[in-house]
This record gives sequence, structure tokens and C-alpha cells, in this order.
Amino acid sequence: MFETARYEWERRFRGTVVIAVGMTILTGFFVWYFSVLDTESLQRMATSLPPAMLEAFGIETIATIEGFLAVEVYNFLWVLGLGLYFAYTAGGLIAGDIERNRMDLLASFPVSRSRLLFDKYGSLLPPIVVFNVAVGLVVYGSVAAIGESIDPIHLLLVHALSIPYLLACAAIGTVFTVLLDRADTAKRGAVGLVFALFLLDSVTANAERLGWVGNLSPTQYYDPSEILVDGTYALTDSGVLLTITVVLLLSSQTIFKRRDI
Amino acid sequence: MDAIEVTELTKEYGSVRAVDSLSFTVSEGEIFGYLGPNGAGKTTTIRALLGLLTPTSGTARVLGADVREEAALIEAKRHIGYLPATLGFDEAVTGRRVLDYHASLKGDYRRDELLETFTPPLDRPIREYSTGNTRMLGIIQTFMHDPDLVIMDEPTAGLDPLKQEEFNEFIRAERRRGTTIFFSSHVLSEVRRVCDRVGILRAGRLVGLEEIGALLDRGGKRVHVVPSDGDSLGVADLDGAVDVTTVGEEIQFTYTGEYNTLLDELAGHDVRDIEISEPALEDVFMHYYGTEHETNPPTETADV
Repeated sequence: MFETARYEWERRFRGTVVIAVGMTILTGFFVWYFSVLDTESLQRMATSLPPAMLEAFGIETIATIEGFLAVEVYNFLWVLGLGLYFAYTAGGLIAGDIERNRMDLLASFPVSRSRLLFDKYGSLLPPIVVFNVAVGLVVYGSVAAIGESIDPIHLLLVHALSIPYLLACAAIGTVFTVLLDRADTAKRGAVGLVFALFLLDSVTANAERLGWVGNLSPTQYYDPSEILVDGTYALTDSGVLLTITVVLLLSSQTIFKRRDI
Repeated sequence: MDAIEVTELTKEYGSVRAVDSLSFTVSEGEIFGYLGPNGAGKTTTIRALLGLLTPTSGTARVLGADVREEAALIEAKRHIGYLPATLGFDEAVTGRRVLDYHASLKGDYRRDELLETFTPPLDRPIREYSTGNTRMLGIIQTFMHDPDLVIMDEPTAGLDPLKQEEFNEFIRAERRRGTTIFFSSHVLSEVRRVCDRVGILRAGRLVGLEEIGALLDRGGKRVHVVPSDGDSLGVADLDGAVDVTTVGEEIQFTYTGEYNTLLDELAGHDVRDIEISEPALEDVFMHYYGTEHETNPPTETADV
């Protein structure tokens, strides 16, 4: 079992480490930067921003370390950066093999197409865990190092609850990758859609009558600012994300089983 | 049980029929050559046999499993080796890692033995591989799980002549082990050296299915002769010389008669240059299956 997942994860290992190191350095820098910031004026500037922008960047407060990290690390790096990264990577899972003639060999293996697909998707799980653990630890350590403190439970939650969100983004990429034969098109399609949904969610957040549009976006169901600053979260949101993931994966499976390669 | 049993197999892409109601069988222990020009539908057939494509109508069985039934086909694939025409390996991993991955899914009973004949640099990443090395890695993965049926799409493309001969010898040894081999080619000379039987595909239809001996007898040889000035050959009168044409000084014809008769005839003349080669596939079709000569490819000079 999981031979393909293991093989794919081994191939991803180096890239995962590089990205994890990059993100921890960036995170460490943000934390250090906060320690030298004039937070009062930053807060005044932040509250003068238009509401849509506040929503897009998840700005609740920027004068505390929690608020600052929620914006810089979790809304930018996690929701947008990693969301797009996993949509993009998943977009290449199958289409890349088809485009580069690798699928012929894979399809000759004595394994079902479903297992091939789920194994490949599964190879994205270790990077999700690695990124969360690495950055979580660095945040906790560096915050302590600058003499601030952060609620470890909130920190744990903001990372744990990001996993369903990232899985959903990867599932969006998976649908694209089984539908299209060209890896580039599939990756761009997935990235474009996740980004468009992120924008829709931000723009419509303050428009009462269009609020439902934002409900289509996975970003609606993971709000790092609320978790980190207020410690509030809804497990039903994670449930929605996991449901989206399962539905998208089952759809991908059906498409992939039926299509010609 | 036949190793491969194709029944009225048809695959359409929109309005294009890639293969058109093919029916043939390949017996156990046989080497079957699947011959046809590029674009005839060879790869489409092979991909349908492996379940990569769903037939529009008709079906095929490999080792008894219907290609439309995934579970049965997966079971059969444990005993099938496949060498695709274009080999796609992950560029960044080493050949050894690729084989380990294949082994984890298919099994590995013969890798060491195969590595004595085929010698790709296993510890280098695939991106550094030459075409020949990639081919050899492909051949190893095809046979490493000791399959009962091997399906190969243009297997010797990219191998140098020496390796090609080794490969042919290897294939003959495989037959002695009882392996059934199905391979496609567009080069008659390649097929004739190892096959027991051939199927000839043209524009998606099977136009011939016969023992290799019969095909070769009927296919004959392509002869080009340049006689010395003023000498005219009586080859047109020879029994078995067909399609005689003169291009400049050179006389060209296809010869299907007794070789000695031809040599006797030529011996009586002053021959300045001569070439006797395999006929182009298209010529075989034209003469022996009565099909229209739609395209006019250059005569294939096979290395006999």
C-alpha cells in the first residue's frame, strides 16, 4: 500500500525542505520586525484602510503580535501563499504525468486508477504537516525570544485548522489535473480559481446582499485572524472544508476512472 | 487460453476512426509482430489492450481479462510487461529509484539477471540518460517481474544496432522461456528477425495476418541495379520480378522469385552497382494486399 504516495513524497522531499526553510526564515524576520515596529502608528494606518482591504488581509488588529502574525504570516503566507501552492502542485499531479508520457507506465501497473490518484494526492499530506510544524515551532520560539507571548492553544489551532483548508485547495487542483492533459493549463487553472475565490470572498465580505458569493470560497471557512486574536473558531467550518475536499476528490476519481489516457 | 484476443475492436476520436473493428488472437508463447506505418493505429491498439483507452465498440482480452473491466485487468497486469513507445521517467530520480518503485508495485524477480544484458547507469539521475540508456531502463522494467505477456510499442527505436541485435537475441530467449510477446514496429526487417506471426495494420484496419515466412516470401526483396553503359538487363522477363522501373541508369524492381535465378541472370552482365534490400512496408501492402498507394514514402533501406 501507498507505494506511489511514498515515491511521490520522496520526490517532493527536497522541495518541501527548501520551502519550509524559506518560510521559517521569513516568519522569524516578521517576528523580529514586529519587535522594532512602532505599533501605534501602524495600527492608526491599518484602521484607515478601506474595509475590503481589511477583510482581504484579515486585519483585526495589527498592534499585537497575534494580530500582526495573523496578517503577515497566516493570511498572506498560509491562506494565500500555501493555498495557491497546493492548488498549483495538485494541478500537476496527473496532467504532468500525461503530458510527459509517464502515465503510460503508471497505468500499466497492477493498481487501480483510483489508488494512483489518491496516492498522488496523499503525497501532498507530508508537506502540509511539515510546513505547519516548522512554522508553528518557529513562531512560538521567536515570539518568546522577543519577549512577547502567544497563546499556544491558539497557535496550535491556527495551524491544525489550516490543514482542512489546504486539503481543499489541493482538491481543487486535483479536479483540474484529471480534467486537463496539459500540466501548465491545469496548474494555472487551479491557481486562478483559488485566487479568484479568495478575491470574491474579500470583496463581498462587506456587501450584505452578495455575502453568499463568498460562501463559495474555501477562504470563507478558515479565518486565522479570528482564531489567533480572539481564539474563536467553528468546527463546522472545518467540516465544510473537509466535505468540499471529499466531494472534489470523489468527482476527480469518477472523471479519472472514465477518461481515456 | 489465448494470451491476447481482440474482438471487433473499434476506437473513434470524434469522427476519426483510429482503429476499425480489429479482430485477431495471439497464442501463448508466440512472438507476434504488429506491423504498420506510423499513424496506422498500432499505439491505439496497444493502449486499448492495457485499458488506457476505452474501446468505442468491441473489446479485447489480455490473459483472459476483459480490458473494460478494471479489477480483472489489474489482476492480469501483474503478469504483463509493457514498454511504451515514448518512455516517460521522472527526470530527477535515479534509474535505481525508478526500478525500486516499479518493483514495489509489480515485483522484482529478474532485475539482476537483466542488468547483465542491459546496462543503464543506475545511480545517475534519468535526466543524464541517453536515448539508448532510457530504452534499456524501459526494457528492464518491462521484464523485471517475469511477465507472461509482454507488450512493446516500437521497442528497438533508439537502440544502437549492436544493442538491437542483443535485444533480438534476448527476445528469442524469452520465447524459449514461454513468454508471449506482442510488439509493434514499422520496420519489416526488425519484425522478420524475431516474429512467428505478423498482423499488418493499415489506416486502422487489419489488412494481413500471417506466418512470417509466408509474408517474407510474398514480400520479396527490393533490388536496385546499375548496369554498365549500354548493357540492358533482361530482368523484366524474370519470373518473380515485378514493378520494374528505370530511374536514370538505375533499374529498380521487387523480386519475389528464386534468388539463384536472379543471381544467374545478373552474373551474365556487367554490374556497376547493386543493392538488395528489404522492401518498404508500403510496397508490401501495395503488391500483396491490393491497397491503393496513397502516400509515396521513400523506399526504406533496411539493414539486412
